[in-house]
Amino acid sequence: MNAKANKNQSSCIEPSYYQAVTQAIRTQAVQVLKDGTVAGVVGYLPGRRKGTARPALITTPEEAEKLIFSPACVNNLSVYLTKSKKGVLKQGRIGIVAKGCDMRALAGLMGESQIKREDLFIIAVDCAGVYGSRAERSESVTEANIARKCHECTVHHPEGADFVAGAATELSGLTPLEAEEMARIEALPQAERWAFWKEHFSRCIRCMACRQVCPFCYCEQCLCDKNRPQAVENSPRPAGNTAWHIVRAMHLAGRCGGCAECERVCPMDIPLNLLNRRMAKELKELYDYEAGLAPAEKGPLNQYKEDDDQSFIK
Amino acid sequence: MHAEAKQHDFEPKIVAFVCTWCTYAGADLAGTSRMQYPANVRVLKFPCTGRIDPVFILRAFQKGADGVLVSGCHPGDCHYMAGNFHARRRFAAFRALLDFVGVDLHRLQFSWVSAAEGGKWVEVVTELTERVRAMGPMLEFKSLEHEEQWSAFQAMADVPGVVNTPELKEAYDKI
Repeated sequence: MNAKANKNQSSCIEPSYYQAVTQAIRTQAVQVLKDGTVAGVVGYLPGRRKGTARPALITTPEEAEKLIFSPACVNNLSVYLTKSKKGVLKQGRIGIVAKGCDMRALAGLMGESQIKREDLFIIAVDCAGVYGSRAERSESVTEANIARKCHECTVHHPEGADFVAGAATELSGLTPLEAEEMARIEALPQAERWAFWKEHFSRCIRCMACRQVCPFCYCEQCLCDKNRPQAVENSPRPAGNTAWHIVRAMHLAGRCGGCAECERVCPMDIPLNLLNRRMAKELKELYDYEAGLAPAEKGPLNQYKEDDDQSFIK
Repeated sequence: MHAEAKQHDFEPKIVAFVCTWCTYAGADLAGTSRMQYPANVRVLKFPCTGRIDPVFILRAFQKGADGVLVSGCHPGDCHYMAGNFHARRRFAAFRALLDFVGVDLHRLQFSWVSAAEGGKWVEVVTELTERVRAMGPMLEFKSLEHEEQWSAFQAMADVPGVVNTPELKEAYDKI
């Protein structure tokens, strides 16, 4: 009991840390806006309710004084820079506040020629973790309310940014929930795996929030919206849902940086990040590729080696 | 002249996605050489294995295929230089995904069959057909086609908290 209490205490980030990060972001944002380095900054403003935050585009130094960073800053802001959102700014360099996982999305988008590094001023955050989607939002992040993805975060300390707010900090001793869940599903017999996903996919209401929020779903016309010929049934029925989620995972394979926004926004609580993680794991094993660590011209499925594994081919 | 065709209880539907330059020609060779192979296979011709989208495989399963075969040129023989190399990576990833979702990979076969390998085509098709025949019909995707979102709630009829009135049941049965 005592040991548990101690552990919880050690894995808790003080609110003062977030205040320091907030201050650093504000100072930097004000500076780059004043000296004209950027035309705007995509960051977080406090939400209307206590303990929330909302994404915002800041264009004046006065507004930049209101920027915050807190564990409620869950959004991956890189989605606002993609084609699907038609770009937040028509011209000029743009600043963006990015956590480690968001940096991976930015790197991926750069690799896919969606954004240019020189058009960005990345204000990275040495992020200790953000709130889970249904967690109680207390003053600080603890093991109880941290997001699932943060349990296994490997990018606490972002690299390659123009400015890093905050200094090395991370929660220790978190259980790798997603890895455990993935191992559990992999160990199930095939029929039970199907039953597991069938139950989840059947609940899907096809709101497409997972697609809207994904930085990599920037296609102007999604394959799954086409109806001549129709590739994936688009009404919310189990058959179409299953196809949609399989196609989605396939299209993100080798690209997904693991920000888990799809899972966060899912109103039906479908564990979408499990699929993404499974694909990431497979591509790491097969081709030793990890998405989003640095801008790469070609992803693992856009390149090949003559001696790739073909043991599954007769 | 021909061996009497054996009657089976179950004839699986096999969909074969083949590349036009190698496997299609290989299958043609098997035909012109009068080799015998199961008629269960439906051949669909594509320019290259690189053109075969994983969606096609999904769609085949959903529309009633019991087994799917994807076949093309041997590595290095691609008419478009690298189509099959790309396909190889894509299908390696796709297999892993299907496996994770719970699809039996024994129903999905990949092969390299060149234009000169009529015999190999017969061998691949026969083996897949017999294997799928032994496994029986593929019900997973097919049954999904007939289900609606609320089917899951029907299965949970006895679970407290789930709305399930006789009227709902009647309405459901009418669908």
